[in-house]
Amino acid sequence: MTMTPSSFRPAARVAGSELAVTAMIALLLIGLLPLLHATGQISTFTLSLWGKYLCYALLAISVNLLWGYTGLLSLGQALFFALGGYMHGMYLMRMIGDLGQYHKPIPDFLVFLGWTKLPAFWEPFASFPFAFAMVFLVPGLIAYVFGYLAFRSRIRGVYFSILTQALTYAASILFFRNNLLLGGNNGFTDFKFILGHSLVDRGAGPATMRGLYLVTAVTLLLVYVLCRWLNGTKFGLVQQAIRDGENRVLFSGYATTHYKLFVFVLAACIAALGGALFVPQAGIINPEEMKAQNSLEAVVWVAVGGRGTLVGPILGALCINLLKSWASRAYPDLWLIILGGLFILVVLFLPGGLVSLPARLAPLWRKRAADPAAVTKS
Amino acid sequence: MMNRIARRLRLLALLSWLGAAALAFAAEAPRQTIVRAILVEDDAEKRALIGTLAGQGDDAIRTLLIAWRSDALFVYAAPDGAKIPVQLTGEKDDKDAQAALRVDNGQALQDAAGRPLRLVGGDLKAVEHDSNLRRAMKAVLDLIDLVAPDPARRIQAIQTIALAQDLSKLPLLQARQKDETDPRARRALREAIALIELKDPKSETRLAALAELKELHTLSSSDFLKRALKEATDQADRPAIAAATAALQAVDLHRSAVDFFGTLFRGVSTGSILLVGALGLAITFGLMRVINMAHGEMIAVGAYTTYVVQNVFGAGVTLPCFGLNLHLSGMNLEGAAYQWYFVAAVPCSFLAAACAGILLERTVIQFLYRRPLESLLATWGVSLVMQQLLKLMFGSNNVQVGSPVYLSGNWTVNDVLLGWNRVFVIGFGGVIVLGMWLVLTKTPLGLLIRAVMQNRGMAACMGVRTTRVNLLTFGLGSGLAGLAGAFLSQIGNVGPTLGQNYIIDSFMVVVVGGVGSIVGTVLSAFAIGGVDQVLQQYLPAWAPGLSWVPGIGSFLQNLAQDAAVFGKIMVLGAIILFLQWKPSGLFSTRSRSLDE
Repeated sequence: MTMTPSSFRPAARVAGSELAVTAMIALLLIGLLPLLHATGQISTFTLSLWGKYLCYALLAISVNLLWGYTGLLSLGQALFFALGGYMHGMYLMRMIGDLGQYHKPIPDFLVFLGWTKLPAFWEPFASFPFAFAMVFLVPGLIAYVFGYLAFRSRIRGVYFSILTQALTYAASILFFRNNLLLGGNNGFTDFKFILGHSLVDRGAGPATMRGLYLVTAVTLLLVYVLCRWLNGTKFGLVQQAIRDGENRVLFSGYATTHYKLFVFVLAACIAALGGALFVPQAGIINPEEMKAQNSLEAVVWVAVGGRGTLVGPILGALCINLLKSWASRAYPDLWLIILGGLFILVVLFLPGGLVSLPARLAPLWRKRAADPAAVTKS
Repeated sequence: MMNRIARRLRLLALLSWLGAAALAFAAEAPRQTIVRAILVEDDAEKRALIGTLAGQGDDAIRTLLIAWRSDALFVYAAPDGAKIPVQLTGEKDDKDAQAALRVDNGQALQDAAGRPLRLVGGDLKAVEHDSNLRRAMKAVLDLIDLVAPDPARRIQAIQTIALAQDLSKLPLLQARQKDETDPRARRALREAIALIELKDPKSETRLAALAELKELHTLSSSDFLKRALKEATDQADRPAIAAATAALQAVDLHRSAVDFFGTLFRGVSTGSILLVGALGLAITFGLMRVINMAHGEMIAVGAYTTYVVQNVFGAGVTLPCFGLNLHLSGMNLEGAAYQWYFVAAVPCSFLAAACAGILLERTVIQFLYRRPLESLLATWGVSLVMQQLLKLMFGSNNVQVGSPVYLSGNWTVNDVLLGWNRVFVIGFGGVIVLGMWLVLTKTPLGLLIRAVMQNRGMAACMGVRTTRVNLLTFGLGSGLAGLAGAFLSQIGNVGPTLGQNYIIDSFMVVVVGGVGSIVGTVLSAFAIGGVDQVLQQYLPAWAPGLSWVPGIGSFLQNLAQDAAVFGKIMVLGAIILFLQWKPSGLFSTRSRSLDE
């Protein structure tokens, strides 16, 4: 798949102002919000809502890494996001201990399914380091195997998109089954503790939530910095060259398969990290999170924010989710039409996304600024 | 020589006399017999008369005997002194009176002036019955279905008798065997006789019955054979064990054959469902290279059009539409005229979806022909909007689309169940593949379509109006999706998310078949459908074989029991592996272009 220059216009290369904007947003998110929460200005609900948005921003970054910078439109990122969430969720389920409804040492849904002891693969998840490793290993491994098979046989462009969507679809119907022993369609919920800190909505709960929010915001900043750094390296250049003309890169002697595979696995890990941070703040993880539609929604965030830019996906994820929170309450019937319509409009009329808006408006602005002058001259 | 002829003549005479006697006997209608039985005083004679009803197939016998048993028959003494047996039926009015039907002719009882009489049960004497008589009646009722005019009911009755394995019923069945003409009923009779004979005290009869069952190898005899085998094992009856085992093997063989052909049929029908869903996509995606994520919604448009047409033929429908209530008045057709709704719905679905497709092409897709990834995203937006519109117009629940009579029902061939609607979809798939092939290869439009799809720029230089061809091609593809919707409405539920169920499968079919190849699409639809059904059929049987996997053996076994889901996942895995081998599908279009 080639990206002809006309189809893709990177956003304005205004490194200095972008850095300033980013720093300001980061300061707001990392400094101001927790401060407001600590002083009781905003509720824990609002804070963890923002925490969830930041997790979605991580998902958006992973989509952008693939689509914006490598030209691979993956519709399976929600799968990796949810897998990360499930791995962390398994740890959180173990931490409930015997405080569940049935007061048994195994999770409630297993009791409900007639299990008396823990299935073997649940055992090691009592250890946080193990679960933390699994958050990266499981999605990473799946991404590696799938990516290896897909890239080796040169599945590109829309074919890659369709296959990743099918993968997500297959996984979601699998996770809906009770026999998978991962909670069926109810998934995991009702968490009590994380690393010994209470997650319930009383006592030390809000403080834990603030901590989780801070961790998420800092993680997002670190991932952003990582992407920024990667973007400037030779690797980043090859990555973008693959996007703009894979065959030329291939004929120049680069093993594009390896580059793509690395980016795919890296993106899966970033998405999984987002999912892992999402679970304790949302308080639930179920197969709804890995529906194919969620992957596509993440692509909308990136498209609206501005793909192929570093800050665009974060901006897009925040804006669309804020819009969603508002619209799905104010106009529940029309929300999908708004989302769909917005998407059509952005694809057709604003391929560069929100980030490109200032650059596109600037000439108009200048013209208008110039016009009165012209009038007075004459 | 003479002697023999004379003997034959005598025999003939005897037979014809017997026949005449039988005719004379049959001439008396069952109703008359029952009247006589009611009026006769002697219990034994009553029983004898009731007994003569056995083996007659008149529906009146059943109603009257059941009425007799439940004390609904009475004797009415007419003013002229005649005793008329009557049946009181219907609702009681305020005087406790009910309508009275004469037992002898089933007509309403009339008074002298010819008005129907209403009688009060309490004033009359109910016709009595003792336990012996009731037993005689039950014997008649049990056998009444054996001579019913409808073969299906006869078979049902035969099977009921066989299930009881009552040796006393044997002579009756054997007698029936002479008169029965329907081949399926004859088979059922043979099976029933053999099953009852399994209870015979004589071991030779039992062995013969086992041999007969082996020959018949019906699925329903399996349980009886297992029981017979157990009994034979308990009694250490060697020949019986051997015979029962052989019969069981025959049944099992037959069962696996039935399973196999049933799976084959389901595979072909699943394949044609996939094919019908994917054909439109084979045009829009395969030929035009437009990723239309709203293809599923085009299918839904077709299905909902069928729903609307059905209601217009019926009682009418009201569609809420942005605050306005759009009312379509119905034609209130009934019977055969209503059944034609589906025939009318098919072209309507095509047109509705084609119009939606043309609208989509004009407003969105025409700007994105050179940007396939972005057409994927934009059409996904369209699909969201359309889903929500369908929800707003038709509600978020499924709507009822009834099958016309000629599409419902089953067809059983040698124990393999073939649903009519499935057979129909297979036929329909064949017809539209043929139609599409004819359009693409034999018409001027087809020529233009192929030219534009091969090289848009060159075709434009030759004077082809490519925008119009694009428009028509996209309309054709969407229309085919609408047709698919009309037919899928006969198979599954019709709801706003109908399209989502088919979209991923449809894309898989086109990708595996080779983008741009109709033949490939057909083959891959049947291959995917076949593999899917084979896995669904045999996975539960294979599941125990998974126990060897270390650690997660029992987990995998559990999972494989969910054959439908696990099968789908395995199909997807198989597709990914298949693409390793043939990255551009079964039939790839050859091209020298690098970035194809």
